[in-house]
Order: sequence, then structure tokens, then C-alpha cells
Amino acid sequence: MFTYFLRKLLYTIPVLWGVVTVVFILMAVVPGDPARIMMGQRGDPATLARIRADLGLDLPLHRQYTKFLGELLRGDLGTSYRSNEKVSVALSVRFGATLRLAFWAMVLASVLGVTAGIVSAVKQYSVFDYSAMFLAISGVSAPVFWVGLLLLLAFAYNLHWIPGVGYGDGQAIYLILPVLTLGVRPAALIARLTRSCMLEVLSQDYIRTARAKGLAEKIVVIKHALKNALIPVVTIIGTQVAELLSGAVLTETIFAWPGIGRLAVEALVARDFPMIRGTVIFMALIFLVTNLVVDLSYGFIDPRVRFE
Amino acid sequence: MKREMKVFLLFLLTFGVLCMAGAAFAEDPVYGGILRWREINDPPKLDPAQATDTVSSRAIYLMFDSLVENDSDGKGVLPALAESWEGSEGGTVWTFKLRKGVRFHKECLGESTANGGREVTAQDWKYTFERMVRDNSPRAYFIEMIEGYQDFVSRDETGATEWSGIKVLDDYTLQFKLTYSFAPFVSVLAYNSFMVIPREDAEKWGKEFNFHPVGTGPFMLERWDHDQKVVLKKNPDYWRKDDKGNALPYLDGVELVVIPDNTIAYEEFKKGNLDAFQDFPDEFYVEAKATYGPLFQERPWVGTYYYGFNNSKEPFKGNRALRQAVNYAVDRERISDLVIEGRYPAGKGVLPPGMPGFNPDLKGYSYDPDKAKALLKEAGYPNGFECELQVNNNPRHKAVAEAIQAQLMELGIKLNIKVVDWGVHLDMCERAETQMFRMGWVVDYLDPDNFLYVLLHSSNHGSKGNYSFYSNPEVDALLAEARVETNWDKRIELYRKAEQLIVEDAPWVFLFHYSTSLLGQKWVKNMHLPAMGDYSTPLYNVWVTKK
Repeated sequence: MFTYFLRKLLYTIPVLWGVVTVVFILMAVVPGDPARIMMGQRGDPATLARIRADLGLDLPLHRQYTKFLGELLRGDLGTSYRSNEKVSVALSVRFGATLRLAFWAMVLASVLGVTAGIVSAVKQYSVFDYSAMFLAISGVSAPVFWVGLLLLLAFAYNLHWIPGVGYGDGQAIYLILPVLTLGVRPAALIARLTRSCMLEVLSQDYIRTARAKGLAEKIVVIKHALKNALIPVVTIIGTQVAELLSGAVLTETIFAWPGIGRLAVEALVARDFPMIRGTVIFMALIFLVTNLVVDLSYGFIDPRVRFE
Repeated sequence: MKREMKVFLLFLLTFGVLCMAGAAFAEDPVYGGILRWREINDPPKLDPAQATDTVSSRAIYLMFDSLVENDSDGKGVLPALAESWEGSEGGTVWTFKLRKGVRFHKECLGESTANGGREVTAQDWKYTFERMVRDNSPRAYFIEMIEGYQDFVSRDETGATEWSGIKVLDDYTLQFKLTYSFAPFVSVLAYNSFMVIPREDAEKWGKEFNFHPVGTGPFMLERWDHDQKVVLKKNPDYWRKDDKGNALPYLDGVELVVIPDNTIAYEEFKKGNLDAFQDFPDEFYVEAKATYGPLFQERPWVGTYYYGFNNSKEPFKGNRALRQAVNYAVDRERISDLVIEGRYPAGKGVLPPGMPGFNPDLKGYSYDPDKAKALLKEAGYPNGFECELQVNNNPRHKAVAEAIQAQLMELGIKLNIKVVDWGVHLDMCERAETQMFRMGWVVDYLDPDNFLYVLLHSSNHGSKGNYSFYSNPEVDALLAEARVETNWDKRIELYRKAEQLIVEDAPWVFLFHYSTSLLGQKWVKNMHLPAMGDYSTPLYNVWVTKK
């Protein structure tokens, strides 16, 4: 397993290098001069040239690339053109907020989704099954901004149960609505997938054997069926975690949540190259790490899986 | 009966006195409280030398001071950290007498500042201006007419160690020598980049000064939670006093709260979580005006919204009749009413209302489809023509463009709308790669020069402001003459002549003039929206009655 882990870790190096290079090239060819945006609508060409030189944008592309790679190898993601903030500092500050949001959203989604999926499968074609699957389809289809606005209008501005939007001083109450908004879609996906996987497993012969042995239904479902149904569910949870961690732009915008998603969008608009590169590299890392964790977890869930 | 009358009169008198006392009590300023002001995004820059956007400017106006400041009704400049000033004969030497007893903030982010709260002197001003050049401030070139600017910019080659045109005559006297007479010079100094900063703190933090801003303004930085809020606290040593000699500001602090979404921001305002909501969105305009009445302030903003023709390329190059035809084909009032709730008044020329020199009698172009058709024929396009209009990505700009597209279609003019990001838009306009483009201009300094010279003089083609690549030697001569003329009436006459010629040449579709808006809660008192825009609303004399 350790060799497998090391090999997977080594794979991340070329992948990261590829991401870094593609992002660099994209930034170089995308129209819109960051120095020009910094100057605003009216800009003196001489000052513009000095700002470009200051940012290193006057260097030939290959020198910009080698300079960027050199800095990256030293762990320096650069400084934001737009705000002068160190990219690594900006990312670490915002990641804390995003992590908090994504973590609780995934806890909510996993608990709700897996539970609803299991019960729906066990009680197939029951009222619960129909209701849960109707809600799941609605959850997958409902746009995030709509869900967010609806929750806010109901609980913050009509019932006044929640103080409002923002991060507050980190109080848990500010977390409730964004977590609900962000958790709805993954919960629905997980519920649908858990249900279908469970149904497939529950129709297998060994489940019938387990029941014939006189095992309690709870043990049959939890111990024998669920464990085998979990692999695709864990995969989808992994992808969802990575997606949420790499920024939930709409949720963050609606709830004025200071996360990575908003940072990335504002950087894109301002053509803030160091910040864009930093966020993309960071997001790529999150995806790689999450995939690795998901791969490793298969071995624990299903003993038949061997790391080779 | 007499007794009854006496009692009645006494009652009336007592009632009157109580009413007056009540009224006086209601209007008396109250100390304390925090004002929560909505912002759409985190301010990118809190260093005045580097800021170019309105969100940053909002914070900067609260923390810093300039030599002079704009009158809130846009009628000229008023003393700020300079008590008085005078220009030499010919207007090439300007001497400013500084206010005594003005102190820098002694605290920033809860820690003592390097300057320790010392007094501002003329040396600080010289340092501030020189630092702008050293740090490549995007706005330093606004004062390039000060002698020695070029030498100091190229100091590596020239060896210049100081900006020679800025002289410190004594601790409280500062002098500027200009290379040519530039009539709007004092107005330019009111721009929010020219704010005094202390050398000690600037040198201690270098580029990080952006995160440790220290000025002389009514509020000091207490906390900056990025993408959440900027928390400012009262500066106890602020130099301004109210009419009765009481210390200012009244507020204990200001919070600039970042809420990106307009719907949510309005709900937060209605809930009372925000005290002030500026640049009010169109979608809630009618409701807010009806609900809040006088608490909703709106006034003309010194700015112009236009569509520029690319005057350097076909089909508009050298075809005045065609440009005029498009101007006659647009019904500005109707578009403003339909698309932006009538918030932008129709524009007749370049200068907006509120700008000195604005000509209310300018004829401009009214909606006249018959005249437009005749001009199209004269221009060689009797059946209309097709062209591309580029607008930057913004729902309001897109909606206006679509309405104009529909109107022009009636005359056979097919407008293809292209929507691009702001950065791309600027690049393409600067390189004259568009046929028609949307642009707006909001005042930097209260002088017609800021519109007419910057946007339409041929020396400013491209990024310096003249994106339409308009060129008329007669206009150039008038604008150049007005720049150096020191007699105000003569200047206005020159600007009016120039504007009339420009309107006749029609290098733009003169569309609208901007308006600025501010909604305040009923417990926020004495908050007045200035002509220079919501983001410059002074808060040093505002108080709140709800804590």
C-alpha cells in the first residue's frame, strides 16, 4: 500500500506541472492587460510601461515562465497584482472559510444522502421512497442561487431566525444557511446513487443467503449490503468534496462568505495572473489529494481491492 | 375669562417651548455608534497612491486628507489640509499655506504607528508626492506639469534626487512650480490619490503600507477581514471641529461591509443590518424610492455615458453625416425610462450638469428619425448599414445596447452587439479595434479640462482618454488655449465653443449623464450625497441615533 501511495504521489508531479504550464499559457494568450486594468480607464503610456516592467510583464514569455517556475519551486506563489496581497497568504486565509463550509456541507450531504438512499432502497416504492427521490430530483435540479435566496428570505428576512449573511466572527449560526444551500445538491446526488447501488446489491444471491441464515434485517442491510454498495458512493463523495473545496462561487457570493471561489472570480475579472495561477494550482492540488484519499479508502471499504 | 385666557396662553407658550426643545434635541448631534456601509467587493487598495477604483476610494476618503477638497455641490474646491493658497501671475507658481495642528493617526490595526501621531508638515507633502513617482502610482502623471516630473521619473538616468518643482518653504508652506500654466491645477489636487501619508510608516511597511494605511482622516484602520469588512475606528485627534467647536467625528466607527449580491444587500438594509447603501441598483429603485422617500438621495453625478465612434476607421471616419444620423436615431429619454427607470438624464453634449462650464442651452441631438434618414442618405447609406458595437460585460450596459439596437433597426442600421470583459474592452478600444464602443467618464477633477481635453484632444488618442480617436485642429487649439487661460470667464467661453464644435462633429453618440444615489436609514443623520459621487460622501459629521 505504501508503494502504491508513493507511486500515486509521484504521478501528481507531472500532473501539477501540466496544470501550471497550461494555466501559464492561458494567462499569456487571454486578452486583457492587467497593468491596463490597474491603471483604470485613463492611463499614461509611460506610466503603463513602468507598471508593466514592475510586474515583470515586459519580459519575454519564456523568461516569465522560468521565473514563475523558479519561484514556484521555492514555494513562492507571487503577489497579487490587484491587492498586493501575498497569494499564499490570501489562499490560506480564504481556504479556512471554504474548508469550514465544505466540511459541514459534506457531513450534512453524506449523512442525509446515505441515510435517505438506504431507507429508499430498503422500502422501495413506499411513500418514503417516492418522497425522498422526488426531493432528490428537486435537489439536483434546483439552482444553488435560488435555493440560497429562498432559504435567506425565509429564515433570515421573514422568520428572523438567522442574523443575516456574512461570516460573523465565526459563529456557527452564520454557517447554517450556506451549509444547507451547498449541501442540497450533493445530498441529492448521494441519495440517488446510494439507492440504486443498494438496490443492486440487495438483489444479489449472498443477501438472500444472509437472510436465509436468519440474520437480522439491520445486519443484512448495514453489514452485508451497504459495505458493498459504498464504493461508487465514496467516489462521488470524493468528487463532491473536491468541488466544494475548490470554491462554491455562487454560495459564497450570496452569503458574502469570504472563500476561495469569490477570490478566484475577482482575480479572473482583474486579470490578476499570480492570484489566478495560485488558485488554479491550489484547486488542482485539492483534486489530486482527494482522489488519492478516495483511492486509498477503497481498500478499507472492500477487502477485495488490492493496491498494486 | 381673563384667567382662562392666561392659562391658555401659558399652555401655548409651554407647548411651543417644549416643541422647540424637542426639535433642537432631535437635531443635536449624538456621539457614538457604528455606521455600516455596504460595499460590493473588498477594496483592492488602501494606499491612496495606488487606488484607482471607487470601493478603495470610499475607504481612502475616510482615512486620509488632501490639501483641498471638492465642494459637495460641485461648485469648486475648498480648503482641507491647506488653509489657503495663491497662484502667481501667469499661474505657474502655486503656494499653499498648511493648516497647523493636523496630526497623523497614532494607531493602526490596534498598534502604535511609527510616526507616533506627530504633526503634518510641508515635508510630508513633498515626501507623499515623491513617493507616488517612486512607487509608480498610476495617478502620478495627473500632476506631470509640476517642474522636474520627467527628471524625477527618469532619476536613474538623470540622477535627480528630488522632485525639483515641489519646494518646502517652511514647515507650513508648500510651493509648486509648474512648467506651464495649468488652470485646473488646484482642482486636480483634490483627487483622492493626493492624500498625505507619514514617511515613517510608509518606509516601515514599503508596499505593505497598503495593509497598514496611516493618514490624518477622521477614521483609523482597526481591522481588515478580507472579503468581509473593513473596520474603521474614530480618530480622537482629528483636526476638524463642528460649528460649535465640538470634536469630530461623532461616530465611534465605520464598517465597510462587503456584500456582493444586490438582492441580499437590499434585504440586509431592510432588516437594519446596514445603515447606508450606495449606488443603488435599478431593480429595487422604484420600491426603495416609494418606501424610503427622502431617505433615498439621488442627484446628477458629474459623469457622461456615451457610445464612441471609431473616428479613425470606416464607416465613421470622415463621415460626419453618418455620425449625426445615428445621434438623431436614438431616443434617449425613452431608453432611459424603459431600461434604467429614467435615472439617467439624456445627454446633449460632453459636459455633464454639475460640471463648471456646463452649457444648459446646448442644442445637441433630439430624437428625429426623419432627419436621421435624410442624413443617412447624405452619408451614402440610404438603406442603413451594419456595424459592431462593443460593450463591457454589465447587465445595465447590455440592456441599454439592446434597446438602442432595436431603435436603430427601424432605420435599417444593424447593430451587432459584442460583449467583452472590461480589460479586453479597454485594450481593444485603446488600439482602435472597435467600430463603436460603450464608454463612460466620471469626473476626476472639477474642471471642463477633465472631460474635453482628456477625452477629445488629439494628443490623448488611445489610453490617455480619447478612445474615439477624434481629431479637430480647431477644437485642439481652443482646448489648449483654455488650459492655460487664467481668466475663468474666458476659459468657459473657450470650452463652450469647443464643445459646440465637438457636438456638431458628433464623434460620439451623446447618450446620458450619470446619477449617483445613496439610501440611508432613518437613524442616520446629516448624511448628504455629494455631486462627486456616493463614494466620497463625508462621514466625519454624520451621527446615528440608534446604537
